[in-house]
Amino acid sequence: MKRRAFLKTVSAYSFASIIPSFHHSVIPSLLVPMDDSQTDHLKAYGLTYKAIQAGLKAEWLLNYRGGSFLIPDLDALRRDAALNGIRTEPVDSAMTAVRGEIEANNMDTVPLEKAPKVAVYAPPNAAPWDDAVTMALQYAGIPFTKIWDAEVMNGSLKDFDWLHLHHEDFTGQYSKFFLIYSGMSWLAEMVARNSDMARRLGFQNVPELKKAVARSIRGYVENGGFLFAMCTATETIDLALAAHNVDIAATFADGTPLDPDADAKLDWSQAFAFTGAHIETNPLVASFSDIDGHQVNGGARRQPLGAYTLFNFSAKIDPVPTMLVQDHRQVIPDFYGLTTSFTRNRLKPGVTILAEEEGAPWVKYVHGDLGKGTWTFLGGHDPEDPQHQIGDPPTDLSLHPHSPGYRLILNNVLFPAAKKRELKT
Amino acid sequence: MSLRSKGAAVAAMVLLASATPGRVARGQAIGPGFELERSGRYADAASVYFTTVRSDPTNIPALLGLERTLFVLNRMPELLPLVQNARARQPESHALRSLELRVYAALNEPDSLEAIARRWAASVPQSEAPYREWGLALADRRMWDEARRAFLTGRQTLGGDGTLAIELAELEQRVGNWEASATEWARAVTRWPDALANAASQLADAPAPMHDRVGRALIAPGASPRARRLGAEVLLTWGQPTAAWAALEPTLVAADSDSPGALRRFADLAGALTTPEGHRVRGLALARWADMMAGSPGAGRARAEAVRELLDGGDKIAARRVLEAHSDSNGVAQAALIQLLIADSQLDLAEERLAAPSTAITADDRAALRLTLARAQIARGDLNRATAALADDSSVVAIAQRGWIELYRGNLKNAMEAFRVAGPYGTDRAAATDRTAMMALLQRIQDETSPELGAALLTLARGDSVQAIAALRRAAAKLPEQGGRLEVQLLAGQVAAQKGGDQEATAIALFDEIVRIGGEGAAPPAAELDWARLLVRNGRAAEAVPHLEHLILTYPNSAFVPEARRVLERAKGAIPRS
Repeated sequence: MKRRAFLKTVSAYSFASIIPSFHHSVIPSLLVPMDDSQTDHLKAYGLTYKAIQAGLKAEWLLNYRGGSFLIPDLDALRRDAALNGIRTEPVDSAMTAVRGEIEANNMDTVPLEKAPKVAVYAPPNAAPWDDAVTMALQYAGIPFTKIWDAEVMNGSLKDFDWLHLHHEDFTGQYSKFFLIYSGMSWLAEMVARNSDMARRLGFQNVPELKKAVARSIRGYVENGGFLFAMCTATETIDLALAAHNVDIAATFADGTPLDPDADAKLDWSQAFAFTGAHIETNPLVASFSDIDGHQVNGGARRQPLGAYTLFNFSAKIDPVPTMLVQDHRQVIPDFYGLTTSFTRNRLKPGVTILAEEEGAPWVKYVHGDLGKGTWTFLGGHDPEDPQHQIGDPPTDLSLHPHSPGYRLILNNVLFPAAKKRELKT
Repeated sequence: MSLRSKGAAVAAMVLLASATPGRVARGQAIGPGFELERSGRYADAASVYFTTVRSDPTNIPALLGLERTLFVLNRMPELLPLVQNARARQPESHALRSLELRVYAALNEPDSLEAIARRWAASVPQSEAPYREWGLALADRRMWDEARRAFLTGRQTLGGDGTLAIELAELEQRVGNWEASATEWARAVTRWPDALANAASQLADAPAPMHDRVGRALIAPGASPRARRLGAEVLLTWGQPTAAWAALEPTLVAADSDSPGALRRFADLAGALTTPEGHRVRGLALARWADMMAGSPGAGRARAEAVRELLDGGDKIAARRVLEAHSDSNGVAQAALIQLLIADSQLDLAEERLAAPSTAITADDRAALRLTLARAQIARGDLNRATAALADDSSVVAIAQRGWIELYRGNLKNAMEAFRVAGPYGTDRAAATDRTAMMALLQRIQDETSPELGAALLTLARGDSVQAIAALRRAAAKLPEQGGRLEVQLLAGQVAAQKGGDQEATAIALFDEIVRIGGEGAAPPAAELDWARLLVRNGRAAEAVPHLEHLILTYPNSAFVPEARRVLERAKGAIPRS
């Protein structure tokens, strides 16, 4: 964890002895339940974020009533909760019983101390509703900064604790829409904007620029940053990293055909999550490799959507993955993206699977560490728009305040706020 | 190789592979080639195709596979000797001839390409195919001028104004010469009527600045009737229905067997337009079609539809003309004519026709007409004749309508009773909602009668919003503060907010007063929500936020809170506009 890194190794200390928690303080507390009694799950994350942003201490009660939060019982927070339709419960006298229940079960408490500074990697003209994370952050009221290639290349990433990537194609092939959507104005603008940026930053072509951006993001994680990626950014950033010495871009993207032996030349040691994948060489198929299990644009290879199940981790032993899977639903309907899922046999050893479709050859949600930082990949584009198509209307999250899929995104946003903790081995 | 050529090649491949049992066996032999090609392993796929061609030199699926894969691999020269060999073995094969031309085009050898094409043309002197394939091969290489010359050479050699017109039209369109494309499409449809749908679809994509020129090319004086009909369809798709009808109408001569079909197609296309002009020309086309097809089973239905469209298009004169010519025996037409008379405010005449005994009008239509007539009488302010128009109708709709009439007379208790009997579900949803909202207002008022309120609501029903606002305010002033005054003021405020302009200040003053007084009932939170909505609508979202927050925090149990939260989200920009 950046500057306050989580340690994967588990210490011999008991949690209770090292976690400073404010239940001993005189300030009474409000419980923000996250089970089915909650009236707006997504905004509850924003309320908690605002509390820690204001310098107050909060706690995340892992596995307790759907992963509830404990925040100080202050008028300002009560008012915020009322305005946003968030259910809160005063728990002064009941807190002892709550902590007893947590102690006796597969539950734990994690102090939340510092509001993470959030960056979203997106082109300047990206519509705010074309990215599930941006929508979730806006709806929950969590502030963020948009950055793009220029900011990444000039070292601005160090100013942020958390970086989100969405449907950027880091292979520099414009999501391989170049031939399929030829003539569409939005594509022409995308091509012009990327080409201009590559020129400005001194790169020969867009694929080379994106490889450099991918390497900078990798460096950011190695130095302690949190990376959360969705949709096609997950697959293509690994392809771009693995392809640092080989041309995997089609002729339309860089003027040269891709290397016929690209598969053999990929260096997967540079990648975050995947290994041994085969590149999709057909420029007319909007798919990048066999990492994606669903191949939404792969014609006969396309797989139907099912449902994915969140793993139940041990809260006291594995608090990090436990935080990432806090939800009031354990089985969640799947949703397509240009990259929907991750084929199991393309995952590197050591990658933590957070959610999978039982019996299927793919998983949905994975996590791992790199250097001092961590990365988390979630397949799919929009949890509440399972068949998302270009040009679809934006998802109105006020109609989905209990979205379990969006909760996974917001778990990731709050996760860097958790206080460093020594863990047992 | 262009996408189009690829598509054609794949289609040809599939067709040829399934033509005969022998071919099926060969197709199976090259099956792995297709799989390799599909997975992007073009070199391996090419090897499979080469193996097939070595054992079967005229195997067209394999040769087409090589055309696709060698192009990607930049190895097209390897294909030429194989194709030449195959063509020599089967000189009559159209597919091989075409392939040979495409290979020469891919190798950028236009002189050889022309020589081969001319040689093929000499062998089939009446056929357009050699010139078509010659031109298309060049067009696929984006050699537009050379492609045009190939097509025109064919036209000159074979004669006929429409020869290769479709190919030339598509070529000009690809180059962006929309006017020339239109001229060629005009030639094409004149020769082949079946090309009309494709031509219209293609020309519909012309950019807006070219519309005038394309239109003129199709409907210029001297243009053939089919070209004018094409012009009419294109103008329709561009949203110019009046110009479209002007282009079509002169082509509608009774002796022309194409006319009914052209009219029907025109009417169908006009159905996509939602403007009054669009409805009107659709009505004109349907009426004309019905006249042409008089006696056919669909003519009566088309005429009724024409009347409806003409009314929607605001052309009452044309609608009435259609109806009066055909209403004697047709119940639908009679009903439509009465509806037209009501819409035209000729209520006496409508009343008279409705009262006349006629077996043609169905009971349902008669009841609906009575209701429409009653509403028209209310709009005129004649409540007695409105009551008379409803006669002894005991349907839920009529009971509800009687409730409104009682309300306008100021008989609040009777109105409430009628609304209660009608219930919340009868009639359409909007009408039921209006009724329920009025019941909510009335139940706050203790008095059984209020002529002032009735008169104010009648003024509102008659569409005089400004007078209604003032009348509602006067009526409210006579009611106790917590006995209906706030609710009636709220209604006045809502009408004023909807009216906009100068009335917005009145609306804000009313909402402000209601919110300041507060108290029990739904009016204070509703007023605050409407106030905030008005501010948001006027781009003053920041001013709306405190109102919405006040509403949510002051009335946490109000039914308006969820909607207030949504408006608050929008005001803050936290959720996107759909």
